[in-house]
Amino acid sequence: MADFTAEVFQNEFLPDGGTDVHAIVRVTSTGASAATSMGVVDPGSAAEVILIDTSGSMGRRGVMEAGHAAKAALNEIVDGTLFAVVSGNGTAQIVYPYAHQGALAVMSSHTRGEARRAVEGLRAQGGTAMGTWLKLARQIFETVPHVQKRHAILLTDGVNEGETPASLQAAVQSCIGVFQCDARGVGDQWRVDEVRAISSALLGTVGLVPEPEELAAEFEAMMRASMSRGVANAELRVWVPQGAELLFVRQVSPTLEDLTVRRSTVNPLTGAYPTGAWSDESRDYHVAVRLPARTLGQEQLAARVSLALGDQPVCQGLVKAKWSNDDALTTRIDPAVAAYTGQAELAQVIQEGLAAKASGHDEVATAKLGRAVQLAGQTGNDEMTTRLKKVVEIDDADTGTVRLKKSVSKLDEMSLDTASTKTSRVRR
Amino acid sequence: MTEAPPPHLPQATQFPQATGPGPGPDTGPDAGPQEGPQEGPQEGPQEGPEPPCPVCGTPNPTDASFCEACGAGLATGTRGAGASPAAYGGVASPATPQTAPAGEESPLDVGWTGAVPSAATISTTGAGPALERCQACGEGHYVDGYCDHCGSPPPDPRHHFAESPAGWVGGVCDIGRRHARNEDAMALSAGQRPGSRAVLVVCDGVSMATDSHIASLAAAQAARTVLDQPLPRGVGTREAWEAAAARALTTAVATANDAVRAAVDDETDNPPSCTIAAAVVEDGAVVSGNVGDSRVYWLPDRADLRPRQLGQDDSYAHEQMLAGVPREAAENGPHAHSITRWLGTDAPDDLAPHLTTLTTEEAVDGWLLVCSDGLWNYCSAADDMRVLVHNMAAEAGPDATPTAVAQALVDFANEQGGRDNITVALARLGGQGSQETTGAEAAPQEGDRIDG
Repeated sequence: MADFTAEVFQNEFLPDGGTDVHAIVRVTSTGASAATSMGVVDPGSAAEVILIDTSGSMGRRGVMEAGHAAKAALNEIVDGTLFAVVSGNGTAQIVYPYAHQGALAVMSSHTRGEARRAVEGLRAQGGTAMGTWLKLARQIFETVPHVQKRHAILLTDGVNEGETPASLQAAVQSCIGVFQCDARGVGDQWRVDEVRAISSALLGTVGLVPEPEELAAEFEAMMRASMSRGVANAELRVWVPQGAELLFVRQVSPTLEDLTVRRSTVNPLTGAYPTGAWSDESRDYHVAVRLPARTLGQEQLAARVSLALGDQPVCQGLVKAKWSNDDALTTRIDPAVAAYTGQAELAQVIQEGLAAKASGHDEVATAKLGRAVQLAGQTGNDEMTTRLKKVVEIDDADTGTVRLKKSVSKLDEMSLDTASTKTSRVRR
Repeated sequence: MTEAPPPHLPQATQFPQATGPGPGPDTGPDAGPQEGPQEGPQEGPQEGPEPPCPVCGTPNPTDASFCEACGAGLATGTRGAGASPAAYGGVASPATPQTAPAGEESPLDVGWTGAVPSAATISTTGAGPALERCQACGEGHYVDGYCDHCGSPPPDPRHHFAESPAGWVGGVCDIGRRHARNEDAMALSAGQRPGSRAVLVVCDGVSMATDSHIASLAAAQAARTVLDQPLPRGVGTREAWEAAAARALTTAVATANDAVRAAVDDETDNPPSCTIAAAVVEDGAVVSGNVGDSRVYWLPDRADLRPRQLGQDDSYAHEQMLAGVPREAAENGPHAHSITRWLGTDAPDDLAPHLTTLTTEEAVDGWLLVCSDGLWNYCSAADDMRVLVHNMAAEAGPDATPTAVAQALVDFANEQGGRDNITVALARLGGQGSQETTGAEAAPQEGDRIDG
């Protein structure tokens, strides 16, 4: 049984007339991976689907490496887990299990061997319509509604030209709540925003794999991470008092995700936000609440932030507000709130800057990426500074004065884009 | 009602963890246990058979688990909790109390952050004792120290409390409108028979000093304990009583000073300090003393008798007035509220209170008022104060208790702006306004009376 704890980082003191309360709530789980660490899981407790791009653009080399990657992932799937392998191009086909075995097979040494042989037969041909892959995955998962933990890995190498954006979006929407999906793009011919939209909506990660040869290691890591998640379908719940306005709920670590629009109503004062499955990990959430100002000296609870498994809250953090006329108290900004606010803006200006650059708006791109350089410096995000340096010449990091580089590798731009939502954990 | 509502405390104490004890009384600057309420009649002298609270010294029934005054656990010395986790269907959690780095902690940083049931589960389980309904909105209930509807905590009993030890003595101590903490304190006691015996103590903690709210309450209670002791009868003359009462007041001030020093363990850059104003009434005789700028007023009913402040302020404003500056200007000028003597670690050597004895000609029907500057800031001159108090008493009606009149005066100060904490303690001597005691729990103090 996993244990969850919640910590709150905030400055609860508001000045006279102050209304907005910001807090970082860190939820930490321990013991969540114990259930799977024995190497065998209860059959039917988890299901995995591997979605492999076999469009023509993958080529012989790409498909061969994708096959290797699929095998690496298969090796990580714990015995007893339900699984399937799907190949996708303009349409999607189940590669394994074979038709007479049903939509999902139970992992064992026997089925693993069969699946490994099946992925060796993959051939590259046809277009790319990821919506069809996702819909097939959904249909597969829907055959096992009793399975709590449902996860897919999606690999693509190209733009989704085989269907309309609306069609892809509809497919993604239909999968929300059915399964989680981590997505990886190989090479530089895929679109980061397109794939990120899939993984973000399906509570997964997005990543760039520059060369097909690196796929196997990536798949192995992704599948291992999924296997370690022993707690399925936790949801974050946020209560705010009557009369308050919940400005936003944002996951800020390990990656940035705006959860605000994913709210479902628990009761008039409480909203729930899906967080997917948990391994032993910490996730940080930024909650912002607007309260009607109270008189000096008064105190109010601004939010209760809890993690719930099913209907059972397993931990809770209290976000408080206290009005004070002591400037020494009210002017202090909590370091965690400040750092994550900066990182959220950093991700935003990087994405906006790259989008502006791609559409030829160099002035906007220069300003946005300059601000990004400034923020990365201020928040001590050296990794992002390094990535930004590959896209812009930095004249003055403090003022954010930069010039766009004349020739930039597409992969460098894409890696900056995909990495933009990764945040560095704020320590306390 | 002697059982006060549980003080508002950090969650750590509301929901003790399965894995260890909650934070002790020393976990935060605001975590001191002395901020408990002083509601209801006082128990009188504290050397009674009931075991005193190890934290604040208040006697409690022998079977009590928690101190009725400050909420301290009587068995363990830790502060009391409103309810156990099971009471709310709570989930035991290994969450550790979270504290900010030293020097950055706020009173609220010391908080428990583990599992707490949500409002949803509480409303659906229906198990356990009924939760207390929110006093702020009346809609929700206190589930984890806060209302599940409006988020308000229960009112901090330290922010506002009243004492009515007898029908002729009562007082109200209030946070006011602008301060975040009530650093005023009050301690009263009285015998049931009007005019028999009363002790009124008011202390005003110096704001900005660390834990002044704890220190002031400790000082007031310590002084009351001293003044509750029977005075030596001496030769039985009025003069002998007055001398004994004056000595007791001097001792009470010294004891209160010790209490302020002892209230905070740690060496702090900004040690707590407070004023003191006290009056003892015994069979119509009145002796008062003060250090600092809390005041004792004698406000006789008869128009031909002069109302007056007993003693004098130890304040820069008072020195200005002695130098010829008019009261209005002196009390509103720069440093007007700087006091020149106070109780505390850095108190001056000379702590002899300004002692005053009412003459028998003076001490007829009237109001004895002990108050902090939160009241007299809005009505300083004794003549004005007499008008104010008598008007308030008249408005309250002939059956109003001194506590009700004190509340009216607190309301008045709040309506004027409530810029400081407000404490008003009143004793009604003779005539209208005095009543037989109605509270059965008020401790009679006939034994302390001396023949005068």
